[in-house]
Amino acid sequence: MAKRSLALQLDEAVQAMLVSLPPRPETAPDRELPPLMELARELRLLPRPEFRAGLKTELQRRATMSEGTAASAAGTGQAQAKALHYQRPGLTAITPYIIVRPAAQFMEFLKSAFDGIEKLRMPAPDNSIMHAEVEIGNGAIEVSDGNEQYPPAPADIHLYVKDVDATYAKALVAGATSLHAPVNQSYGDREASVRDAFGNNWYIATPIGWTPGPEGLRSIQPFLHLHEAQKMIPFLESAFGAEAMGVHKSNEGLILHATIRIGNATLEISEAHGEHQPKPCHLHVYVPDTDACYDRTMQAGATSVEVPQDKPYGDRSAGVKDPFGNSWFIATWQGTK
Amino acid sequence: MGRRKPASKAPPKRLPKTLPKAAGAGVPPDTPGGADERALVVAAQNDPAKFDALYELHFERIYGFISSRTRDRTTAEDLTSTVFHKALENLAKYEWRGVPFAAWLLRIAANAIADQAKRARRETALEDDPRESAATANLRGSEMRGEELRAIEHRARLFRLVGELPEVQKQVIFERFVEQRSIAEIAARLGKTAGAIKQLQLRAVQRLRAQMEGGHG
Repeated sequence: MAKRSLALQLDEAVQAMLVSLPPRPETAPDRELPPLMELARELRLLPRPEFRAGLKTELQRRATMSEGTAASAAGTGQAQAKALHYQRPGLTAITPYIIVRPAAQFMEFLKSAFDGIEKLRMPAPDNSIMHAEVEIGNGAIEVSDGNEQYPPAPADIHLYVKDVDATYAKALVAGATSLHAPVNQSYGDREASVRDAFGNNWYIATPIGWTPGPEGLRSIQPFLHLHEAQKMIPFLESAFGAEAMGVHKSNEGLILHATIRIGNATLEISEAHGEHQPKPCHLHVYVPDTDACYDRTMQAGATSVEVPQDKPYGDRSAGVKDPFGNSWFIATWQGTK
Repeated sequence: MGRRKPASKAPPKRLPKTLPKAAGAGVPPDTPGGADERALVVAAQNDPAKFDALYELHFERIYGFISSRTRDRTTAEDLTSTVFHKALENLAKYEWRGVPFAAWLLRIAANAIADQAKRARRETALEDDPRESAATANLRGSEMRGEELRAIEHRARLFRLVGELPEVQKQVIFERFVEQRSIAEIAARLGKTAGAIKQLQLRAVQRLRAQMEGGHG
């Protein structure tokens, strides 16, 4: 009988291995067969690429939501402080800076609707609010009164809360208008939307079909609706070293939803559609090196608003405008000196 | 209302489906315990978001070790997931004392395998498999033997090399060994003849063998 080809011999042996049967004895086995089968047995243990990628995403999400958690778990405050050394305590890597008028009333709304806690209020000489910070959940909103230089710029915020129904009800009592009542979404959130009296949209959600890691979720994520949203991803990647964690595109290539991480926080983007049109807003980002980041934003196509400089409140900061018209306050906390 | 995306197309948001990447594309520096790895560990301890570099470096090692012990894909995936979640959680506790990071991960893996075996025994009340329990007992809390470590490195290297195969060979390997499809099925999916698929399978395994042997020198 003619010797069967090595390809055939190997395939029969592989087939037998896959169904856990002893291979048919070869009349004229190729000498190369045994070492190849040794490899083939190992190949049977190959991981699924989908599993490898899925677990990576899961770990990224968990790490992102819990920067400092690992450090604090060991009780090493020093490690935690180091982890966040460039961020002002109390703020994450991305904080929406909402400019409205009157800011004082907006802060009252944040307190009554979302159990916000006022952390800081710096009045201007005319008694308007120059800068304020309101903590909500594990995040914060920064606030100031609009003026000529910085006119009011409301934002869209994705807000994770413990009980969406209760928060929705409170927001309405506090003066917000319903965009839609709580409803279970196919992606595992129970979600409602409201618009406050200052023009901000709040997408309020509670996970129901999935369990966040023990460290919980980021309470606050800015949500940007953009024209040609897909162009925002490379901008954020090159300007801020951002990472797109989940990008869902339509068949036409439009971004339906994407979550983007910068440092220990995330923001979301989607293609503008219907009533969800671009709303250029202000974002405050903490980065390890303001000067380097400022240069990168320039190379990535941003325009300069303010070159990097040391601020009296301990930040080195700069201002840029991205190609979509959003303003970014880039900052590095230099610590208390 | 579809404020963000048409509800009909909305995928589950919490676990975005990343497009499957080639396993191990971009072979990481294979130097467990080296200075580079140390820098990666310190970076991840300072910023957990950087843990993914360590994941990239060690995934094949850990998955390969676990899957060789469990012989069941679902269990191997569950345990691998447990190991990396535990590692991320306890990263701050890891200290450099001459123990490579890989050894620390493998210790977590050995414990996870032993715990899982114990659970399985309780659930099925089956007779203990003496071979398995001896292996896990050896691993749990003790140093791994050189032979075991060499097998782990060998397997991890093989898995990464699969990621570097020419695209169509790689496809055949995944379809055949991971999805366990028949030659006829793979031929239909790739629009080739059965004979061509068998040739591609042979070429891929031969190429891997040559690379594995070449790399040992």
